[in-house]
Amino acid sequence: MKLTKRSQLRDAHTLAGAYAMDAVSAPDRERFERHMIGCAECAREVASLREATAMLGTAAAEPVPAGLKERIMAAAAVTRQQPPAAETEPVVLARGTWTRAGGWFRSLAWPGRLALATAGTAAAAVIAVAVVFGIANSSMQQQIDRAQASSQQIAVVLTAQDARMATGTVVGGGTATIVMSHSRHALVFTAQGLHALPASRGYELWLIGPAGARPVAMLPAGSHGMTGPVIASGVRPGDHLALTAEPADGSAHPDTPMMIDMDL
Amino acid sequence: MAQIALVARGETTAFDAVFEQIGPSVFGVVKRVIRDPAQSEEVTQEVMLEVWRSASKFDAGRGSATAWVMTLAHRRAVDRVRSVQKEAERERRVATAEIPFDEVIEAVESSLERERVRRCLGSLTEVQRESVTLAYYRGYTYGQVASLLSVPTGTVKTRMRDALIRLRDCLGVAE
Repeated sequence: MKLTKRSQLRDAHTLAGAYAMDAVSAPDRERFERHMIGCAECAREVASLREATAMLGTAAAEPVPAGLKERIMAAAAVTRQQPPAAETEPVVLARGTWTRAGGWFRSLAWPGRLALATAGTAAAAVIAVAVVFGIANSSMQQQIDRAQASSQQIAVVLTAQDARMATGTVVGGGTATIVMSHSRHALVFTAQGLHALPASRGYELWLIGPAGARPVAMLPAGSHGMTGPVIASGVRPGDHLALTAEPADGSAHPDTPMMIDMDL
Repeated sequence: MAQIALVARGETTAFDAVFEQIGPSVFGVVKRVIRDPAQSEEVTQEVMLEVWRSASKFDAGRGSATAWVMTLAHRRAVDRVRSVQKEAERERRVATAEIPFDEVIEAVESSLERERVRRCLGSLTEVQRESVTLAYYRGYTYGQVASLLSVPTGTVKTRMRDALIRLRDCLGVAE
């Protein structure tokens, strides 16, 4: 049975109370959160209802068991904090497998999600890459600065309708993550935990097609185990993405064994 | 809780103060939903560490710090019980559970704030109060509440919203 737009709206709106009390199943929760993105009034209502449910919560207060506070304080002392959202304008998360970032997305309080779910800018999209790829430390700003030049291109890939994410294991250690857009003929590459190379060597990224290997870029030095993001444009049908360790100033052809070879 | 901004800067003394202020409420609501004391401690720890980690994401323009923390706490508690119990099992248990709507009132002691909550809960109709109590303190979904109270789900949804609006207005926490 197909509901009319109006009755769907009304239906979604009545869920505000149940949603504010977490009295919704997972599918209902997602449905309502999608609805709230376009319904500022619903978001305001939920916020105000949560002031009330918070009072229900504080009315249930009871003394904390001995030792719990100490354990929490000790755990906090060794737990890294998330950086603030800086000067970000709201961020667009790309479609496709980006939705797998849902765990992270869901862990935000809903106002944060609302902010993240609306419009975006190129710089903000770079930050989205940083966040999604797990950079949550003080080097993020440097990463962002470095990436600023290619941020426009990166944003185009990340926000493409057909953006898809894939990960691969790097021979010798580390994980590569790519976001590929065939419609844009480009991909964004990042890696984590790459084995550090001697100063005379560097990682080189390649696109390998039927006509041979084309160098993409030398990867910048990693920071806190995180390398990239690096943009590779001009991807052709049938290309593979490869990574090798080469002399620091790069090679015209890959001279060493592939450390990763990903179908695109 | 102006200290949240200080927590975001990594100040542990501020975090300590936040815990002193809201820790008992977090533990209380988590234990209400989960029941098991050991698991409740675990979830309380998760919630408070989440507050520590994501304090920079708190936006005072969108609600109070108390509501932010209590929302995290309640959701974590609910997620914990729902992931532990298979839905079918839970439905069975719901069907045989006793209606606990006096429970809140009993537990509420005589601080001014609690007195206010008690009075406002008392201002709800019985069915509204049942719906809110089962959902918030027991962690049931509106569907489960509906089957427990033998009323249509649509009715329960509406009741929950009406009840919270009434509570909000009674408590004077509207923005």
